[in-house]
Amino acid sequence: MSGIYIHVPFCKSKCTYCDFASFPKEIGKMESYFACLYREIEGRGRQLKDKVFNTVYIGGGTPSVVDSKYIAGAIRQVKKFFTLTPDAEITIEINPGTVDENKIKEYKSVGINRFSIGLQTGYDDQLKRLNRVHTAKDFLLCTNMLKGENISADILIGLADQTLDQVKKSIDLAIAGGVKHISVYALTPEVGTPIYTDYLNGELLSDDEVADIYDGIVSYLKEKGFNRYEVSNFALDGYRSKHNLNYWKRGEYIGLGVSASSFIDGRRFINTFKIDEYLNAIIYNKSPEISSDVIEEKDARFEFIMLGLRTADGINVEEFNANFNADFFDEYKSVLNKKAKYLDINGNIVKIKEEYLYVQNSIILDFIEE
Amino acid sequence: MSTNKENIRNFCIVAHIDHGKSTLADRLMEKTGQVSERDMEEQLLDSMDLERERGITIKLTPVRMFYKAKDGKEYVFNLIDTPGHVDFTYEVSRSLKACEGAILIVDATQGVQAQTLANAYLAIDNDLEIMPVINKMDLASARPEEAADEIENILGIEAHDAPRISAKSGLNIEDVLEQIIHKVPAPKGDENAPLKALIFDSYYDNFKGVICFVRIVDGTVKVGTKIKTFMSNKEFVVTEVGVFAPKMIPQETLSAGEVGYIAASIKSIEDTAVGDTITDADNPTSQPLDGYKKALPMVFSGVFPLDGSKFNDLKDALLKLKLNDAALSVEPDNSAALGFGFRCGFLGLLHMDVIQERIEREFDLEIITTAPSVSYKVYKTDGTELMVENPTHLPPTTEIDYMEEPVINASIFTPPEYVGPIMELCQYKRGVYRDMVYLDKTRVQLKYTLPLNEIIYDFFDSLKSRTRGYASFDYDISGYQRSELVKLDMLLNGEICDALSIIVHKDKAYERGRQIAEKLKEVIPRQMFEIPIQAAVGGKIIARETVKAFRKDVLAKCYGGDVTRKKKLLEKQKEGKKKMRSIGTVEIPSEAFISILKTDNDN
Repeated sequence: MSGIYIHVPFCKSKCTYCDFASFPKEIGKMESYFACLYREIEGRGRQLKDKVFNTVYIGGGTPSVVDSKYIAGAIRQVKKFFTLTPDAEITIEINPGTVDENKIKEYKSVGINRFSIGLQTGYDDQLKRLNRVHTAKDFLLCTNMLKGENISADILIGLADQTLDQVKKSIDLAIAGGVKHISVYALTPEVGTPIYTDYLNGELLSDDEVADIYDGIVSYLKEKGFNRYEVSNFALDGYRSKHNLNYWKRGEYIGLGVSASSFIDGRRFINTFKIDEYLNAIIYNKSPEISSDVIEEKDARFEFIMLGLRTADGINVEEFNANFNADFFDEYKSVLNKKAKYLDINGNIVKIKEEYLYVQNSIILDFIEE
Repeated sequence: MSTNKENIRNFCIVAHIDHGKSTLADRLMEKTGQVSERDMEEQLLDSMDLERERGITIKLTPVRMFYKAKDGKEYVFNLIDTPGHVDFTYEVSRSLKACEGAILIVDATQGVQAQTLANAYLAIDNDLEIMPVINKMDLASARPEEAADEIENILGIEAHDAPRISAKSGLNIEDVLEQIIHKVPAPKGDENAPLKALIFDSYYDNFKGVICFVRIVDGTVKVGTKIKTFMSNKEFVVTEVGVFAPKMIPQETLSAGEVGYIAASIKSIEDTAVGDTITDADNPTSQPLDGYKKALPMVFSGVFPLDGSKFNDLKDALLKLKLNDAALSVEPDNSAALGFGFRCGFLGLLHMDVIQERIEREFDLEIITTAPSVSYKVYKTDGTELMVENPTHLPPTTEIDYMEEPVINASIFTPPEYVGPIMELCQYKRGVYRDMVYLDKTRVQLKYTLPLNEIIYDFFDSLKSRTRGYASFDYDISGYQRSELVKLDMLLNGEICDALSIIVHKDKAYERGRQIAEKLKEVIPRQMFEIPIQAAVGGKIIARETVKAFRKDVLAKCYGGDVTRKKKLLEKQKEGKKKMRSIGTVEIPSEAFISILKTDNDN
């Protein structure tokens, strides 16, 4: 199956850790942005008319910050030019404090059936420090409007002075809001973001402290019925994100809008990160892509392994062998031996043992072919 | 073109490091019009990049100059530049044999220093006329009177008429040129006698074969002369003779008193050993010249290619360097940790540094070097004796009766206020006090006997930091002494890492073991499992540190746009891992092997 990603590069204000393509000051270009986005949807849809898609994901930025008519328009455009399965998972990222009953009504009216809320933490002082525009209370107001819906929440760990107990309380808040899915990300200080200064000054938690919180959270969430199905993702039974699973299964996806990335027909490509460049490209009928790589078989194999081992399901050896006309157990014999201690091999399923999922880079490295 | 011997002056310049030797050489060449100011490249004779960057002279470089003196006659000057560092003393003594005089430069701000003394004594031993010159008069802190007094008092060489110059600004360089004529004797020798030429250096040229740097003592040599070497007893026909100006310029002949080069399609540098005498095969001299004492390597270190597949490249590089460096010794070595490589012998630490840097730069090879060692004499219980340069070759304790280690006579020059700290350092380094001489009110000479293996660790650095760089140091090997030595092994995750083993004095083993374990803890990155680092002597653990397992090694997010980024990140990490060596399951970075040297012994 395949996915569609749509990027909305607008938000009220930039969070201190954000290094995504998101431009609070460019909000005036919204009208032209969506006009171009619709045009790109049409163009790509025509190119890919033979493919069937089963997920759509509207991310950002903060998609809920723009007038819902633009979002509804985008979904209609997708449905018009792409082939979606009838039960397609259609997700939108929203931030507390940026939605109201009307917006939600309009989202639902075009078929959006999954809502991913950026909670990050249940503590207002921490939210303020991250330059988030909402409070913990806003989160509950938001989930109240979404009662009964398929909701997910994002939680950040590694914040300055954060404790395991605080993260547990934030999770409690999310569960109180009725979420079916939780993503827990470790704060990654990227160069150029304001939080990088905090990192340089040693104010963020150390890797060991983050690991302590992570381990605590994994078991806490398990108690609450949320099972880890990928390094950062936890869900009640039946509520895994189909869109994200597609990435780790190395399925195809088309990215639309600024900075969106795609993987279609063995080629990975990315759209420009600059709004003006994007608008110009679309208006003048040029490609908004800034990079394009045809993935060689050797890299494809490694991607399959590297992505698969992130998930609790691991990699399916039969699938690997069929995809690459290979004999996995034979070709990777030496690394499988070398890393046996960290791997769980059961029939055709190879996965990283639960307790080593958070130190997987060193394991995956050895699968890179010379 | 042969010059009348009366008008030839052969001399070298000796000095403590940084006292201005190469700068004066440049200035002399410029004044005699050997090179125009326009072509002047800083420190012409230091041709290697490395020499220029570090401000040191490593190789000998002779150069011929013409000087029209105030007496109206034209003179030929042959200057042989010499290295200033203690490691290269043997090169200095080689060039001295080709000269009649030596310019002794003394820095007017620093006065006589350790190598001023060492080099001046070398020159005196070789019966050279010493001509003092006081340099750096352009500096405000110059105190030429005191420098002159020091030269007279310490060396017993008259210095009141020494030219006071600034090699940097060119001040009074003319005085130096004039004094050379009057103070340095013209060469003796008979050009009609059978050929007798001293090889004082040589190098291998890809087109001409071995180029011998020679001083003609008697006779004449020209293209076509059939020559013979004494030691190797081989014959060659001369294809080219010439002088250095400073590039090689072919001449018709070289005669008694002259300095130049001979090429004779010689294939192997071994056939024309430095110090050997060349004579005419058809009309040989009966008596060869006194040769040189062969320079013996004193410091040994393992040299391994970072990338194991580059073993043959490393071999080629070392053999090429060895062609022009008789003091470098090379033997194949094999380490469980580092694979195939070489055990190399060097004259000293600087020599080692220089060779390692040349391998990396000139041959573009990345290498791993192990902690330097010295050569120990091991007397076994079965009555046999062997030399051990590699700690892993040390026989089991039960087979050793006793051991001896090389010791040096050290001479340290220092302002009096640092005597205390230096004595403390020498004592800490197992030194035995010999003597202390107050040279004048600003200078003290300390004499110590020290084990060489204490010097090769961090003695220079410690001395520098304790004396804020004011002390100078020189040494010569004085022999071997019996000592209580043990092999210190380092265990990583329970396995001995042979490349980290060192031989130390029994009383130092515990401390060194602890320091190395601490240092390794710093340089070994955390891995998936806990790594115990242990120091052991004879199977007994004497120190332990632990590298904790890492807990987080994963990218927090990995969605559509992150795939390529993550793949690249992992590939980069994989690339970085290639620079690591595996000891069992433990991966250690290549710098770990040398970093154990840099433990801070000052506490």
